[in-house]
Amino acid sequence: MALIEAVDIRKRYRSGEVEAQALNGVSLSVQAGAFTALAGPSGSGKTTLLNIIGTLDRPESGTLTVAGRDVLSLSAAERAAFRLSHIGFVFQAYNLIRVLTARENVAYVQQLQGVSAAERNAVADRLLAEVGLDGMGDRRPDQLSGGQQQRIAVARALATSPDIVLADEPTANLDSHTGESLMQLMQQLNETRGTTFLISSHDPLVLAHARQVVHLRDGLVQEDASA
Amino acid sequence: MIFQLAWRNVLRNARRSLITIAAIAIGLAALLFLWGFNDGVHNSMMRNLQQAIIGSVQIHADGYFRHPKLSRDLPDVQRVEDLLIKLGVQQYTRRIRTFALAAGDDNSEGLVLLGVDPVREVRVTNLHTKVSRGRFVSPGDGNTCVLGATTARNLGLTLGDDLVLLAADRFGALAADRFTLVGIVESGEMGIDRGLVVVPLASLDAMLGMQGRMTDIIVQSPPDKLEALTAALKQGLNGQGDAHAYEILRWYDMYPMMKQWVDLENAFYYIFLGVVLLIVAAGVMNTVLMSTLERMHEFGIMLALGCGGWRLAALVGLESVLLGLAGSALGLVVGLSLVGIFHHLGIDLSSQMDSITRFYINPVIHPEIDTDHLLITLASVLLAALLASLVPAWRAARLQPVEAIHHV
Ligand SMILES: Nc1ncnc2c1ncn2[C@@H]1O[C@H](COP(=O)(O)OP(=O)(O)OP(=O)(O)O)[C@@H](O)[C@H]1O
Ligand SMILES: [Mg+2]
Repeated sequence: MALIEAVDIRKRYRSGEVEAQALNGVSLSVQAGAFTALAGPSGSGKTTLLNIIGTLDRPESGTLTVAGRDVLSLSAAERAAFRLSHIGFVFQAYNLIRVLTARENVAYVQQLQGVSAAERNAVADRLLAEVGLDGMGDRRPDQLSGGQQQRIAVARALATSPDIVLADEPTANLDSHTGESLMQLMQQLNETRGTTFLISSHDPLVLAHARQVVHLRDGLVQEDASA
Repeated sequence: MIFQLAWRNVLRNARRSLITIAAIAIGLAALLFLWGFNDGVHNSMMRNLQQAIIGSVQIHADGYFRHPKLSRDLPDVQRVEDLLIKLGVQQYTRRIRTFALAAGDDNSEGLVLLGVDPVREVRVTNLHTKVSRGRFVSPGDGNTCVLGATTARNLGLTLGDDLVLLAADRFGALAADRFTLVGIVESGEMGIDRGLVVVPLASLDAMLGMQGRMTDIIVQSPPDKLEALTAALKQGLNGQGDAHAYEILRWYDMYPMMKQWVDLENAFYYIFLGVVLLIVAAGVMNTVLMSTLERMHEFGIMLALGCGGWRLAALVGLESVLLGLAGSALGLVVGLSLVGIFHHLGIDLSSQMDSITRFYINPVIHPEIDTDHLLITLASVLLAALLASLVPAWRAARLQPVEAIHHV
């Protein structure tokens, strides 16, 4: 069975009188170990779909299995626990908790799991080295560049060894050079660790790195293309 | 680490946190100082009342307070005094009390006639310090007496004059004796300055045929020991099946007005406390709400990572508790220092008082604070800070991750 199995997902937003059909029956299947891009123009529903897969939001209808769990049946607290152990997130920007150092940010998720300080700090330092930020563990987010902050977010997304990392336009706030090296990093982690990545973007740079691209348009999957 | 996170968030906007802490501290310090003033006035009033003449506790034969008759004398004075010694009481004295008629040249006046032990009385009450002319009755005196200033004036008596007192003796027969006026008391309290005559215990015993019998035992006790002492006395004197031979009365059982007045003033004070707490709570709530609104996006990230809503609420609550603790600690230090400093310096209000008020309230106020008032105020301020965080914490607990992340 696929790691992510979404069938006929529909999601509508209503703000006052205006109604927007964000997802119109999306079906999607992502295998374990995949490095998949979710492409599509602005407003096509990428963020909405990632949020639903990441259990941050719920669809009106459809079925969704993530890592073997029927996540739509989970309560809010169960979803939080599910996210903690199965899903890593990288958002477009401002991913980090401002008052925590780089190391503490990475260690934060393991702290939520109750891992001892010594152990989680060791894991954090190892991950920081892996994302090329060796020795920057004591810096606060505001002492780091945008690219470095995104790398820390990637390190944090991996700290609990999740099944899947969901990244919503991770390169959108970066220049193309920095974006490129972030993509290389994620690809490398995907290869060495086997962690599944699902990355939304309309950045050609991202699509170039993906092994599988899912195109969204007006809340519908258009085609399945393999790169 | 949640503690560390909360602490750093407090420091994150240090200016705003400091203003909040200062507001809590000023509120608490002001409350403590006002309590200090209030308790200082009240306690000195109550102390003065007890020390002037009535004592903290009086022990009589049962029923004597309502119907004072010499035939209702204390069943066993020695037993009472032995019990007092056993209970570690230092300040107590015996008295005979009855009514007398004082005959002047062309008028007469009804008086409370008090026979006191000159040696022990001065250790228990401070009536002797209110003597404005002459002296108090002293050991070795024969038939001497001390009068209130108003009575002396009404009877046209000056120091050295003789005064004839008429009273019923123990058997109800009329007794009369002549006493030399040796001192005049001017206390400012009407009940003392007018209507009281004090004579040596031995002289009165002889005049009334008491043969060592007493009507009153007067005890002084610090306020914090009063209730325990009363209970122990009741237990020790009436607890053994002697069918209530004694009555043990606290000062406010006998003269409840002042205690009621103090309780009433304290009740008003609690209302004031509530108002100040509301202001403090509103201030804390404002700060915490502002700081949570600013961090909406960050809260969304934390929720996405798998932090539960209640954990987030706990963080928000802890932040206000930290503000409350810091403010309370500061306010406690400042407030208690103010009380301490003014306790030593005294606040001189003599220009605003007349002599009657002065009997009860010392013209120089020495603030002091009752422990229960201190603890209640401190706990209320902390509680107000905690309550103020409930709304922001509740909102944090119910936050939807997607909406929160949307905030930038
Ligand atoms: N909170 C919301 N309230 C109302 N409508 C929304 C909300 N979020 C998204 N939408 C609408 O749903 C549709 C899909 O939005 P979504 O954010 O998923 O698109 P996207 O592909 O991520 O776009 P972008 O590339 O700009 O990030 C859009 O039409 C959008 O206007
Ligand atoms: Mg989007």
